[in-house]
Amino acid sequence: MNRALPEMLHCLSGPGNGTDITVLERQRTRVKWQHQEQQNYFGVFLEPSQAGQVGNFQDLVGDGRCGSVLRHVVTHSVKPDPGLENGWPELGRYELPDLGFGSAVLMNGSAAGFEMNSTITRTSSCPHTEAQVAPEAKGKVSEPAEKMSSTVGRESYKKRKADKVQNTKVVAEDDAKDKRSKVCAEEGESKITTEQTRTKNTTTHPNNRETSADTSRENSKASEVQKPDYIHVRARRGQATDSHSLAERVRREKISERMKYLQDLVPGCNKVTGKAGMLDEIINYVQSLQRQVEFLSMKLATVNPRLDFNIEDLFAKEIFPACSANFPTIGSSSEMTNPAYLQINPAQQMVACCGLEMGVNTPDLMALRRTISAPVSLPETYFDASCFTQLQPPSTWDADLQNLFNLDSNQGRSISFPSQPFTGSIEASNLKMET
Amino acid sequence: MASLISYLKFEEESKRKKLWKTGYELRDPNSRSETSWRSESEQRIYSTKLVDALRLVRRNPSTADKVSSFREIREAADRVLAVAAKGRTRWSRAILASQLRLRLANNMKHKRAKVTGCSRPKRLEKKRFSPTLQRKAGLLSRLVPGCRKVSFPNLLEEATDYIAALEMQVRAMTALTELVTGPPVDRLGSTSNS
Repeated sequence: MNRALPEMLHCLSGPGNGTDITVLERQRTRVKWQHQEQQNYFGVFLEPSQAGQVGNFQDLVGDGRCGSVLRHVVTHSVKPDPGLENGWPELGRYELPDLGFGSAVLMNGSAAGFEMNSTITRTSSCPHTEAQVAPEAKGKVSEPAEKMSSTVGRESYKKRKADKVQNTKVVAEDDAKDKRSKVCAEEGESKITTEQTRTKNTTTHPNNRETSADTSRENSKASEVQKPDYIHVRARRGQATDSHSLAERVRREKISERMKYLQDLVPGCNKVTGKAGMLDEIINYVQSLQRQVEFLSMKLATVNPRLDFNIEDLFAKEIFPACSANFPTIGSSSEMTNPAYLQINPAQQMVACCGLEMGVNTPDLMALRRTISAPVSLPETYFDASCFTQLQPPSTWDADLQNLFNLDSNQGRSISFPSQPFTGSIEASNLKMET
Repeated sequence: MASLISYLKFEEESKRKKLWKTGYELRDPNSRSETSWRSESEQRIYSTKLVDALRLVRRNPSTADKVSSFREIREAADRVLAVAAKGRTRWSRAILASQLRLRLANNMKHKRAKVTGCSRPKRLEKKRFSPTLQRKAGLLSRLVPGCRKVSFPNLLEEATDYIAALEMQVRAMTALTELVTGPPVDRLGSTSNS
């Protein structure tokens, strides 16, 4: 098909339409772009400038297979085109390629009647499209308005501000009249979805269809769909429908929604209303949080040399009472089932000293131990072994400790840390190692 | 660490490109970020990474001085927080980028790069705020790292995520300090065989 276009260009330049080559160039690019949708919108969209070409095509068509259909389509499509070009930008994007495609089909269809037989043979490569196009063209011709309305109801529109000035009022009025009850019902929704109105004043019939299609899904007053590409806004009743104000409203709604999130997040923001007060609160809260982090980091810095040791000591102290009771049952299973259960359990749990919590904490501690000495793969096996052999005499632990210690020292890691076992019995040896 | 940062930066860059392509994830990430920062798993992940980072910091002999050690720890905490953010947010990327820049500058023995440059705040094209609001927005943008030239709604979004992340950071660090220093450690008293 694409090959046919250059031929078409030559074809059209034959009758003397030199100015139309650029148009056809555009057509060709659009055809390439809109290859799939061509069947849907075939022939319905013609540029007004193409009217002259339409006549040429009609002459050329003669008695092509789709010739009659195309002629009908072509004549029919010229009228709604001015509305199409503005009112349906999505469809408008397709306006030209259909003509190009249609001309290709024309070429293809009226094989006998053409002067340029050479072109026709080349264009015969796309008979399937022709067959597709013909019935769809008929379908399209019969119901252009409904198709437009349904496509208008789709949400992949480009935002066009120029027409909203005229259209939104009309649509708003219609919607307000028809769906006031629905609006009241849906107004309480927190999530708002908007749709962009696309009708033109001249075509009120599609307008009504469009409103019906739109209201079938959303209310008219406040609806904002969450689309990554384009924001679709509908003017509310009684509000300015200027494009600038609409954009402003969109921004304001975005900002207010985010402020609501912040209000939930920042404590004490409920009492203050208004952007300035809330901003003050937010700023204060962020500052206080940052100060807290500073303070905590200073605290951590002071205890940093004792960080690991203390952690291990704490673990050992906490774990020790529950070691005999809960270790075999919970420890092994938990650790086996939670390979990724990495945590420093918040200190609250550690301090609670609940028996079951101890049992639960032990895998955490082991996991923590594992993570803390993560570079060393040995601790894992060590811990696994310790999991199952926790009741063994400490001598074995000491031996493991020694191995671990040596390994770690060889690797240049911090010595004190991996050498710390769970039980307090080894602490003495640990102390010896450390000092 | 530098390689990790560069890798993360690369990861964040690709994520940022994805973000830009799909536009800003307006509302879902807001709720998502809040819940994710509040989740226990996030805190756990952050805590473990923080401990790892702190250990690395501790080994560095240059942090003998108290002040520098404070800063190191603070930077480590922020860096780990930014890593935990997985590069979804602007402030996390800014933290990592600034720290990476600092490290590179240090390595190259150049003049220390300024972490927070004096970039003029971005003027909002479409919406005109009152001067007080502008001032406050500027304040907020200075507080949230990397959000100087960000539009107001995006600034609010970043601030939301940043606040949630900061809260998690405070919780995790509090727990960590309590773990380390809270309960009195009695080594000798608890030595008894099981």
